[in-house]
This record gives sequence, structure tokens and C-alpha cells, in this order.
Amino acid sequence: MTTTRRTRQAAVVACFLAPSLLIFIVYRILPLVWNVVLSFEAWSPLRPPVWVGWDNYSEMLNDDDVFWQALWNTVIFLGSQPVAIALALGIALLVNSDLKGASVYRTIVFLSYPLMTVAVAIIWHWMFNERGGLINYVLRQLGIIHQPIAFLDSFAWALPSTIVANTWQVLGFFMIVLLSGLQNIPPHLYEAARVDGAPARARFFRITLPMLRPALFLCVVIGILNSFSAFDLIYVMTNGGPGHATELLITYIYKQAFGATRFDYAAALTVAQFAMLLVLTWIAHRAVGGNAGAIE
Amino acid sequence: MTHRDRLLLWPRHAALVAISIIMLAPFYWVLKTAITSENIYAYPPHLLPERPQLFNFVDVWYLIPFPRYLFNSVVVSLIAVAGNLVLNAIAGYALTLPFIGRRSVIVLLLSCTLIPFQATIIPAYLITAHLDLLNSYLGLALPLLSTIVCIFIFKASFDAVPRSLIDAARIDGLGDVRILLRVMLPLSTPAIATNVVLSFIWSWNNFLWPLIITRSQDMQTLPLGLARFLSYMEDTTGALYAFVVMVLAPGLLVFLMAQSAFMRGLTTGATKG
Repeated sequence: MTTTRRTRQAAVVACFLAPSLLIFIVYRILPLVWNVVLSFEAWSPLRPPVWVGWDNYSEMLNDDDVFWQALWNTVIFLGSQPVAIALALGIALLVNSDLKGASVYRTIVFLSYPLMTVAVAIIWHWMFNERGGLINYVLRQLGIIHQPIAFLDSFAWALPSTIVANTWQVLGFFMIVLLSGLQNIPPHLYEAARVDGAPARARFFRITLPMLRPALFLCVVIGILNSFSAFDLIYVMTNGGPGHATELLITYIYKQAFGATRFDYAAALTVAQFAMLLVLTWIAHRAVGGNAGAIE
Repeated sequence: MTHRDRLLLWPRHAALVAISIIMLAPFYWVLKTAITSENIYAYPPHLLPERPQLFNFVDVWYLIPFPRYLFNSVVVSLIAVAGNLVLNAIAGYALTLPFIGRRSVIVLLLSCTLIPFQATIIPAYLITAHLDLLNSYLGLALPLLSTIVCIFIFKASFDAVPRSLIDAARIDGLGDVRILLRVMLPLSTPAIATNVVLSFIWSWNNFLWPLIITRSQDMQTLPLGLARFLSYMEDTTGALYAFVVMVLAPGLLVFLMAQSAFMRGLTTGATKG
């Protein structure tokens, strides 16, 4: 390759990558850095920012009960993701094979995933309704409850209800990821195990689960990211209420930033949540054996 | 298939039918409420729609500026889809070429996927304000103009194009732009379809970003319209559910038509990082 061609090619590469990189730098990396800086400042729209050190963090940790409540709710929300993944794995195992109609079942389970989350929130807001909702109706018909429950106005039931709605939406996605993981397992492993007389249980724990590690890791990471993107669902279904019973960190960040115009404090909350996300992802990465997220 | 194997299929079908009913029930319930003319708060609710009619769908047009929301959503999504096609294709093509620092760029891109958009909202808002793009179509679409997952979908597809074909094109004197347009893209229709479907759905469903940067009702998109409808009217009217059906129907149609491309795209995008 001649030098002129090499420089020309370098110019092409630079021009082709520049627009995308610019967008990621301006809307991903710069905000990340800016958030950290902002979290150490006292910010107001009209005055120049003042450096205040750890003040925002100490307020968050020592004086803010809502932060702890939101953190706890976020942890519960995260805790529901492995349950959803296990359910999805069950469904994936059921539809993985030459079962007649498997693709119809797959489509049905997946159908809720590409929906607009705001619409999902409205749908489930209605499903949980005290009078018109299907859930109260079915539970009363079955004699499980005798009085209607206002699920979304109840301190005990509001958070589990939003989790049900979230699970309904993401289940299909987990299923598809796990299915493609299942289809990547070489069939001869199962044949060999069958020849050796390994029972179904052993085949599942010794072959299926270990071979599914990359797919499971992916599901866990998506599940962790879900705790961020659940904003739309919570904002529309309960807006964090009743009280702060369904407040997640992301809805609290939004309220602090765009409700109370406390960008500095909201930035500190964001940093805390992002740190949590990184730690959890790292733990998940280690738990599946270290190299599951490897590139190429 | 032995007789015993066939018997074992029945419990599986039963379980899957039960799961399907649970998954479909919310769809049915909203559709039923949308076409019912009864008082939707009556207890017990009817499982089948009483006196089905379509008034609620007409009501939507009077209660909210539906065409305006629709127009805004379409404009923003078109900008986002066009941006994604062009920017992701050229970036994906650049990543197939050898250059110094290629590996660092890939690592940089992959680490960016770990930064959820929701964690950037405050500075992203301030940046957009500095660019004077608050409350504008470009401002709404800008953060969505390029998507890392889709860049890698293009890259994987371009990597699969035979080397000899590209070399032949080079010997014929084709430049990079022409190679991309005449050789790579015609051989990558599945990647193009995946890009269009994914970027359309992401932009169409986006809620938090428009919520933050739109100021006037004139600029609001469909998801904001839905949320606004719920908070102004409460859930007292079947029109809300008619609105939900109207918003979801196009997306579901796109999904059902492009289902296989969509699912394949999600999983390849996901496994390719």
C-alpha cells in the first residue's frame, strides 16, 4: 500500500467515524464527566457554580430518607430481574425444540417487548384498577380476595404491581436471548450425555446452564439497565407514589433535577446510581466466570 | 417420535397456552375497554365488550391534538432513522478497515454502551440548552442519531462480505464511498432492515428525553401525549384506551411484519456487543 493511499484511507476512516463518535462524546462521555463535576458543586441557573466538596454526597447519605427509600426500592426492582430471567428460561426451554406452533408461542411472549413503555404503564394501571381492572375481578371471582384492592394506591402492593408490569414487558426479550443461547449449544453434547445415561436433571445443570452463561450474563446486564429505564413505567403508573413507595433512584433524580431544579444534588444521585450499576455489572461478570462479555 | 414422546408434548402445550393467555390478557382488556360503551367503572366488569362501538376512537381526535402528536413523532423518528442508517453504516464500514487505534475505538464504543442514557439526562439537557436546541426536532433526535449496537450490526454484516469482492472493486478503481454504496450495502439488506426497525422503535417509544426538552405542547410526541392524557383526564374514559390502541397498533404492525429481522437484530446486536 502506498503512503498516499494510506493517508487517504486514514482520512476516510476519520471522516466516517467522526459523526458517530461526536454524538457519543457529546451525549455519553461528556455528560458522565460533567455529572461528576456537577455533583461537587452548588449549581443554580443564574450564578456561576461554587465548589462545595462532598456536601451533596453527605446530604444524600445522612439527611435524605427519600434517597434511602429510593435505593431500597431500586434494589428490590433489581432483585426481581433474576426471577424474570428464570421464568424466561423456563419458557425458552418449553418452546425450544421442534414443538408444533413454537414460533406462535414465541411471538406471543415477545409481543409486549417492543411496546411503548408509557402505553404498558397505562395498560397495567388499568389492569390493577379497583373496579374496572381485570386482576381484581379475577381474584374476586376465584374467591382469593373479598374486598377489591387498590393495588397502585397501596403502600404494600404498589411496588410489586409495577414489577409485574415490568416483568410482563421484558420477559419476551429475556426469552429470545436465552433461546438464541440454547440454539448455540452443540447437540452432540446432549447426545453424548444421553449415551452416558445422564438423567435430564444432570443434563440441565451440567450442560445447559454452563453453556448458557454468556446469554445469562447478557440478560443480567439488561436487567440491571432496566432499573434505569423503568423510569417511563413508574412515572406514568404511580409517579413514585403513594408517598415514595415506588420511588426509584431514576424517578427521584428526575424530580430533584427537573422538579426542584437541584441539578447539583441530582448529579450526585446519578453518580451514586451509576457507581452501583458498574459494581453490579462487574459482579455479574465475575459470577459467570469472567470472560462471558468478551468481545469478538 | 415415539408414543411416549408425543404424550409428553401435551403438558408442554398446556403450559404454553396458559402462558400465552396471561401474556395476551392485558392486550385484550385494553382493546375491550376501548370499544366498549358501558361505564368502564361498572362492577363487575363484563368479560366481553357490551354494545361494541368505535366512538372512543372518534373522541380521541376531539380530546387531544392527536394529529399534532403523530406528526411530531413521525418527524423525529424519520430524522432518527435516517441518521442511524447513514451514520451507523459509515461508522461500521470504517471499523472494517485497518487503521491505527482501531482496537481502542472499539473498546471506547463498547464502554459507551454501559452508560445508560438515563444517567446522562442532566448534562445532556444543559448541553442541548447551550446548543439552543431545546424544544426542537433536531434536539429531540440528536442523542438518538447513532446507536452503538447498530454500528456493530453493520460491521458484522460488512465483515461477512468476501474480501475478494472488495479487492476486485478496488482494482476497478472504486473509492470507499462507492464500495460502501455499490458493494457493501446491497449485500447487507438484513442489517439495513434491523437498523430501520430498531432505530424507529427506540425513537418512537422514547419518553424521558422529550419529557425533559420539550416546552410547548406543539412539540410533544405521542408518548408524552399519552402520559398527558392520563394525568389530565384520569382513567375515567374509554377514549384513553382507544388512544393506547391507536398508538400501539402501528408499532405492533411494523413489528409483526419485520419480526424475524427484529428478533435476529436484537440477538446479534446483543451477542456482538
